[in-house]
Amino acid sequence: MKQYVIGAVAALLLGMGGASAQTYPAKEIQGIIQWGAGGSTDTVARAVTPHAEKLLGGSIVMQNVTGGVGAIGLNKVADADADGYTVLFGAENPLLYKVMKLGDKDYSDFVPVNILARGTPILVARPDAPFNTFPEMIAYINANPKAVKFGSTGPGGLPSVVTAMINSKTPIDVTYVPYDGDGPALTALQGAAIDVMPAVLGAAIEAIKGGKMKPIAIFDVAGAPQLPDVPTIVSTNPEFAEMLPWGPFFGVFVKKGTPDDVVAKLVGAYAEATKNPDFTALIDARGFKMLSLSGDAAQAFLTEWQSTTTWLIHEAGLTKASPADFGITKP
Amino acid sequence: MDILNSLLVPILDLKLLALIAIGTFAGIYVGAIPGLSVTMAVSILISFTFSWEVYPALALMIGIYMGGVYGGSRTAILLNIPGAPAAIATALDGYPMAQQGKAGEAIGIVTVVSFIGGFIGIIALAVFAPLLSDFAIRFQPRDYFLLGVLGILLVGSLSGESLVKGIFAGALGVGLGSVGMDPLTYTERFTFGTDGLRAGVSFVAVMIGMFGISEGLMQLHTVNTPSVKQKISRIVPSWAQVRKHLPLGLQTSSIGTIIGALPGTGGDIAALIAYDHATRVTRNPEVPFGKGAIEGLVAPETANNAAVGGAFIPMLTLGIPGDAVTAIMIGALFIHGLNPGPMLMIEQPDMFWFIVSALTLANVFMLIFGLTGIKAFVKIVEMPRAVLLPVILLLSIVGAYAVGNSLTDVYWMLGFGVFGYFMKLYGYPLGPVILGVILSRLLDDNWRRAIISDQENLWMLLKGTLASPLSLVLFASVVLIFLAKTPLWGLVFRKKAA
Repeated sequence: MKQYVIGAVAALLLGMGGASAQTYPAKEIQGIIQWGAGGSTDTVARAVTPHAEKLLGGSIVMQNVTGGVGAIGLNKVADADADGYTVLFGAENPLLYKVMKLGDKDYSDFVPVNILARGTPILVARPDAPFNTFPEMIAYINANPKAVKFGSTGPGGLPSVVTAMINSKTPIDVTYVPYDGDGPALTALQGAAIDVMPAVLGAAIEAIKGGKMKPIAIFDVAGAPQLPDVPTIVSTNPEFAEMLPWGPFFGVFVKKGTPDDVVAKLVGAYAEATKNPDFTALIDARGFKMLSLSGDAAQAFLTEWQSTTTWLIHEAGLTKASPADFGITKP
Repeated sequence: MDILNSLLVPILDLKLLALIAIGTFAGIYVGAIPGLSVTMAVSILISFTFSWEVYPALALMIGIYMGGVYGGSRTAILLNIPGAPAAIATALDGYPMAQQGKAGEAIGIVTVVSFIGGFIGIIALAVFAPLLSDFAIRFQPRDYFLLGVLGILLVGSLSGESLVKGIFAGALGVGLGSVGMDPLTYTERFTFGTDGLRAGVSFVAVMIGMFGISEGLMQLHTVNTPSVKQKISRIVPSWAQVRKHLPLGLQTSSIGTIIGALPGTGGDIAALIAYDHATRVTRNPEVPFGKGAIEGLVAPETANNAAVGGAFIPMLTLGIPGDAVTAIMIGALFIHGLNPGPMLMIEQPDMFWFIVSALTLANVFMLIFGLTGIKAFVKIVEMPRAVLLPVILLLSIVGAYAVGNSLTDVYWMLGFGVFGYFMKLYGYPLGPVILGVILSRLLDDNWRRAIISDQENLWMLLKGTLASPLSLVLFASVVLIFLAKTPLWGLVFRKKAA
């Protein structure tokens, strides 16, 4: 009897001491998605998580916490306990929060569980735009200053980074029309409200195949198997190679300080989940490149991404603070 | 033949039929509870139906969508708390009817006209989808802006006695809508450096507070008078009554379908613009608008259900969402291995016809479930105030919390409830505030896009507006409606009559 009581007390204490790998997950895990329902981050997070749930043997309840360019969701996870019961599904934006003065936290306050996949940027134009290739586009812009309308999604978004890349090599004088996301901007492109849009490949594939948009160039060193006929920017303008490959990404994160064995369990589950054929098919169909990075590889990816991007947009004059202020080294 | 086969799929498969029925039934309650939204329910369903086949998953989502858009009217009529933003206009005349003991009649007519609206939206989807999506996608930022201006003119008919007070309330709403991080430039506006204000003021919380809490507080003035006895003899409207309102219903259904099909607007704006349309075209309503006019129910309820079919038009023809719910459904299609886009209708036409058929069934189930159990629902209003008021308060708190699982929203809701109470006491109308919040983003974002597109040159913008037939029609409507509401118009009109 006495032994039984001691055992029970010990078990209770262990339970209170936090989640351990044996018991984790002992309750529902909260999954916080930084971006809205139906978007890329949301789709990828919801597609991979059920496979990870099976491997974890627990359930992850997904919730979209949007606003503040994703900062609201990120802060929610950062404010929760570091016990692995609140998981963040985020995109690349937090790595720019500091230089954009959008928040004082970024992924350095988190442990990456899995950097799932990366998107490939592509430059698309409305189907009847008077140019077909990148050099033709530049020539047209130079001949008609301010006449060409580029879609944009606010400083730090993919369009602003791609535009900064273009400006760093060939300054262009165009009109930037702001949209709240690449979805609405690509819709506007199809309605000829704008002429050119730097977008993520996956968001444009179907419309390109349907002839509703014209691909100008893939912003990568290698072409996309989904669109074999579209040239890369490097094939016409090799000077861009030094900044590429670059792309937005999606990942799963937990707060720094989460017990190592809990992190290990999540890392294992998500690494395995990304191998599921349904998920790899989804990643392919949406034009993403699977990364499935964890541990040091993930950390290195994040550090390099932050360094390249923050300095690029800083030099384009889009930041509110210098990356140097936060100890971000210049590439 | 293939079309017929696809149309028959959900009808002949008992499991799909049952899922649509369950979805519609659940949707009515999701829609009726303020704070629980169809958008939320459908995104939860993505995870829930992950391992299912695509048809059953869609069947359930479509049921919830159709039922939910209709369900929002329930609490709007019975408690003056719109279950969803699309039901705001319904509360304006539905709640006065309930106070006159005609809640049953109001729910009855709303159910029937929702069915009619839903059906017209579906027909438009089935017959004119490619045509309408081509039209919808041609809307330029200046056209969305003009549409927003058209909507804001509704302040005129929502103001009641004092137009000045109405304009003040509307401006307050527009101001509230601009709080938070500006999504176009990521600049903070009116946040006073606080984190809580970055995401903006949740407008569903404002809506629940202004309608629900303020009404609850108003009723405290009369807490000891007995509740209105509800007449429940006639619930299903007579054919003569339906026929009388059919012409208006057809017009507002068309408005709903088109606004639903526009990628930048959904059922909430459709319902408000339809309400405004009704106040203009109805020459002599039996009861004035805002006091329980049947026309004030017909217009928004046909429009918001017609917007459902409309929202599927760009989604199925181009892979572009018509509203927030269809945006999530596109995500669901991706997860189920489909590629929504312009090729979907060519490569998988069966999907298109399946959705048309499922929507039709959901619409029929909505009519059936909507017309049953009204008598029990109506009893809610007959509850003694001492019981009803705490229920309203509880429902408002739960609803405001459910919007974003955030206590901040509950505080906003309570704050605006008290504020709304004082506005009511001093004769300031609340409708324009909500209108302003809803239209704020549409106006603000599209004005900036329009003027930036024309290189910040007003003259160029005006030239562009006059050169495009679509913009010209919208511009002319704005000018005419505006003039029609000024004293000048009355002067000219009277002179002619004399």
